[in-house]
Amino acid sequence: MRRAVLTYLALGIGAILILAPYLMSVQTSVKTPRQFAQQPPLAPPRPPTGANYAELVVGGHTLIPPLVVTVQVVVVVVIGQLTCSVLAAYAFARLDFPGRDAIFWVYLATLMVPVAAVLVPRFVLLSETGLSNTFWGIVLPSMFGSPYAIFLLRQFFRAVPQELLDAARIDGAGHPGVLRHVILPLSRPILATLLIITAVTHWNDFLWPLVITSGARWQVLTVAVAGLQSQYQGNWTLVMAATTLATMPLLVLFVLFQKHIVRSITITGMK
Amino acid sequence: MPSADAAPAPARASRRAGGRRPRASARSGTVGGSRRADTLAGYAFLAPSLVGVGGFLLLPVGIVAGISLFRWDLVSPARWTGPSNYQSILTDPAFGRSLAVTAFFVLLVIPLQTALGLAAALLLDQRLPGSTWFRAILVLPWISAPLALGVVWRWLFDPSDGAINQLLGHRVEWLTSPTLALPSVAAVTVWTNVGYVALFFLAGLAGIPPQYAEAARIDGAGPWQRLRRITLPLLRPTTFFVLATGVISSFQVFDTVYAMTRGGPAGRTEVVAYAIYREAFVDFRMGRAAAMSVVLFLLLITVTIAQQSWFRRRTTYEMG
Amino acid sequence: MRRLFLILAALLLAAGCSIAGGDAKGRTTVTFRLWDEQVAKAYQQSFAAFEKAHPDIGVQVQVVPWADYWTKLPADVAAGTAADIFWTNTSNFGLYADNGQLLPVEFTGDWTTSVVDLYTRNGKLWGVPQLWDSIALYYNKDLVPDPPTLTWDPAAPDDALRATLRKLTVDSAGRHPGQSGFDPQKTRVYGFNAAFDLQAILWDFVGSNGGTWQSGDTFDFADRPKTVQAVQYVVDLINAEHVAPPAADTNTNGDKALQLFTQGRMALFQSGPYHLKSIQEAAGFQWGVAPLPNGPAGRVGVVHGVAAVASAKTRHRDATVEVLKWIGSADGQRPIAEGGYAFPGVTTAQPVFVDYWKKQGVDLQPFLDSAGGTTFPAPLGPRVGAGQTAYTPILQQVFLGRLGVAEGLRKAQDAGNEAMKG
Repeated sequence: MRRAVLTYLALGIGAILILAPYLMSVQTSVKTPRQFAQQPPLAPPRPPTGANYAELVVGGHTLIPPLVVTVQVVVVVVIGQLTCSVLAAYAFARLDFPGRDAIFWVYLATLMVPVAAVLVPRFVLLSETGLSNTFWGIVLPSMFGSPYAIFLLRQFFRAVPQELLDAARIDGAGHPGVLRHVILPLSRPILATLLIITAVTHWNDFLWPLVITSGARWQVLTVAVAGLQSQYQGNWTLVMAATTLATMPLLVLFVLFQKHIVRSITITGMK
Repeated sequence: MPSADAAPAPARASRRAGGRRPRASARSGTVGGSRRADTLAGYAFLAPSLVGVGGFLLLPVGIVAGISLFRWDLVSPARWTGPSNYQSILTDPAFGRSLAVTAFFVLLVIPLQTALGLAAALLLDQRLPGSTWFRAILVLPWISAPLALGVVWRWLFDPSDGAINQLLGHRVEWLTSPTLALPSVAAVTVWTNVGYVALFFLAGLAGIPPQYAEAARIDGAGPWQRLRRITLPLLRPTTFFVLATGVISSFQVFDTVYAMTRGGPAGRTEVVAYAIYREAFVDFRMGRAAAMSVVLFLLLITVTIAQQSWFRRRTTYEMG
Repeated sequence: MRRLFLILAALLLAAGCSIAGGDAKGRTTVTFRLWDEQVAKAYQQSFAAFEKAHPDIGVQVQVVPWADYWTKLPADVAAGTAADIFWTNTSNFGLYADNGQLLPVEFTGDWTTSVVDLYTRNGKLWGVPQLWDSIALYYNKDLVPDPPTLTWDPAAPDDALRATLRKLTVDSAGRHPGQSGFDPQKTRVYGFNAAFDLQAILWDFVGSNGGTWQSGDTFDFADRPKTVQAVQYVVDLINAEHVAPPAADTNTNGDKALQLFTQGRMALFQSGPYHLKSIQEAAGFQWGVAPLPNGPAGRVGVVHGVAAVASAKTRHRDATVEVLKWIGSADGQRPIAEGGYAFPGVTTAQPVFVDYWKKQGVDLQPFLDSAGGTTFPAPLGPRVGAGQTAYTPILQQVFLGRLGVAEGLRKAQDAGNEAMKG
């Protein structure tokens, strides 16, 4: 009992520390630009207004088209990246073949290259193939798996007890069968984690979509939100509303998938 | 689905936990089969990612390595200069300083975010009612795009009207003080990342069969002992991943610095990734930016290999 | 889990369908890129009129956010995917002009001379003037009832500007700087927005004192006594006179001074017409625009202009030139002036803009006077942006009072010129 109280206390303090700055952005999103300019950022909204949100949904700055593009991008990238990464991670974790470790190290090494450095070469390469300002230009670089995801999955696949795999092999399962029926069900927490991470990363990705697309057709949310600001006008009330809106789908996704993250995979509980 | 005999008997788990370090059969642990078939299957499984990594990472990285030997401003034709970009950055005190700043930043961020992330995961893993809400709150900073939160933090740190100084009751110039600027940026980074780190630990904890802890409890181990002897050792693969990718990503931190200080005051928060961005897109010195990237790349590989061998001495879970 | 995959698959299918859609009209499309989403709406109107007169040409407007404009542009130029026509400022166009990436402008128009001068390089004009800014003094009529006409002189022990600013600055106990007990940490109203703001503050003071900043494409300020004196004067307004917010507040937050002004916590705010709309929307008090403070060398303010340039790599040169001519004409720029966004580059379109603000009760004459008098050149040269990022952190230290003015300017100049060598 005392332990539960202490746990709640610690969680509560953490929640306040985390929420307070976040709520400040939400509070700004329900202010009028006029109130925002006339009063310090800490002042409470008086009265709260939904005008910024209305502007972003049905007004002149509607985020609906960029939202549609972003959803498409994220769905394609998540499916592609998870599938390809699972396959690669299985090979690295559970198969023995010449060159395996060398290739794995090469994959891992690519994690260490700063994004800003590869931006231009990657962009020039894709533009040469005519893919600039296209949907595939946005998704192609990330849909064939990422070293990060492969590394993560490999760590977890290696921890699956060997006895289970051997049993499956004795039952006559091939590699795809072992992967599907033994490894994947056991890896559900990490797959759910990875799904959320991949979705969040690409939902919030900014630099690549900014560079590869031009104009409204394939504009993603992050680029549209940045476009709300001009050189001398921060438009912070609108930007905060846009950020709050853009976070909502991710929050829903998180709530949907989090139970998979924390659901214990007890080995006897396998059905 | 084979309902394998794998449920470890409590006694066995307890022996593992109390005695030798847990030992997964990963190192030798391949799925039995002929080596040729394995080779074929291995490359078949790798094929899609080979396309992606090869075409969109390795090839650009190769080009970057090439660019590092040129002078190129993106707009006029590139000129071959040989290793002079390397000479110029390695003798530039600003580059040395930004490496030092980055190292200090990593030392501030990594222990804190890992410890807090683990603590949060352990608290949430008790599955008290309401945990779902706490989990959602924890990841909020991380799932929000950095643009808006960066500016909120600038408001909070504002010396005259900011909330932090109002709570403290006196004026502290957080973001322009040479000693406080980097810790402030580091604190915001930790704030952003804790939830994300906790996710991995939660997934890692979920993967630990409860029988292990149960067995230890029966053997009379207290909560602290169970944590040290069972939970933490079994979390090693997770911890290794969190530390390795945490170090790599904090060596490459950019957004928070860009939103809060732009490298100021007087370069005290100019981390390497920001310096690379500035060289490439503000100063248009692609060659120097590329050379800096190559140096950072080599440095990170060294750090990761060091981490890996440190971990390997303690467990057999890690890389091949 | 399976249901979720079905949903995902359905979404994917939807994505695939919408990707397949495309549009093809049998006309030439000219792309036009700028960084201001508000002005983009004015251009849309303008191009609608253009397309009516030229049914064979369509213009596609792309907005790239200001904060990322200069990241994306060089990448596009390197890959050959730049827009046919794009906006540029003076700090950035030199690189493209010097490297043959731009089409020289081979027609003339009725354009503001100072902006034409800024975009003339090596004897050729490279851009069609679109907008321009000059600098004047916004004032809060609640705090300063009459239009201030101020003079300043750094050589005098005290001058009208400093005396006025001390009177305007008040702490929470009602005391002014110079009075015993004045607490600069509890300032309720600041007199002025002295800060590290090159265009709106520093260069204007340097110019009004007869100093220089650049000679040709190199920085030349550390050895100019008039420049050093003017910078010292501005820094003293902050750290010695306490009539402006501390640099710790303004160095990392460029909006701070504007916020203080619209909050009614700053009496005088020296800035350009680019803040007209923000102030109009936000100020809860009466305000006006007055001339710049008059210095030893008179009133010398910065004039900066934005120009539209044409990419040399355009695939439809004739259509591009047609569009360029249109946005260099009074008709083409009228929507910009009518919307009250900025002074249009075409001289004959300017009265429309001035009238817009007259109807709002704001007299823009001080901006026109500032642009018509002696002006201070905006930064120029192919690598001046690199030079400016190199010296910015050093000058910020000078404003914080951590580095002496003479020493700081010396270091700043060395660092800036070194960075401009490339």
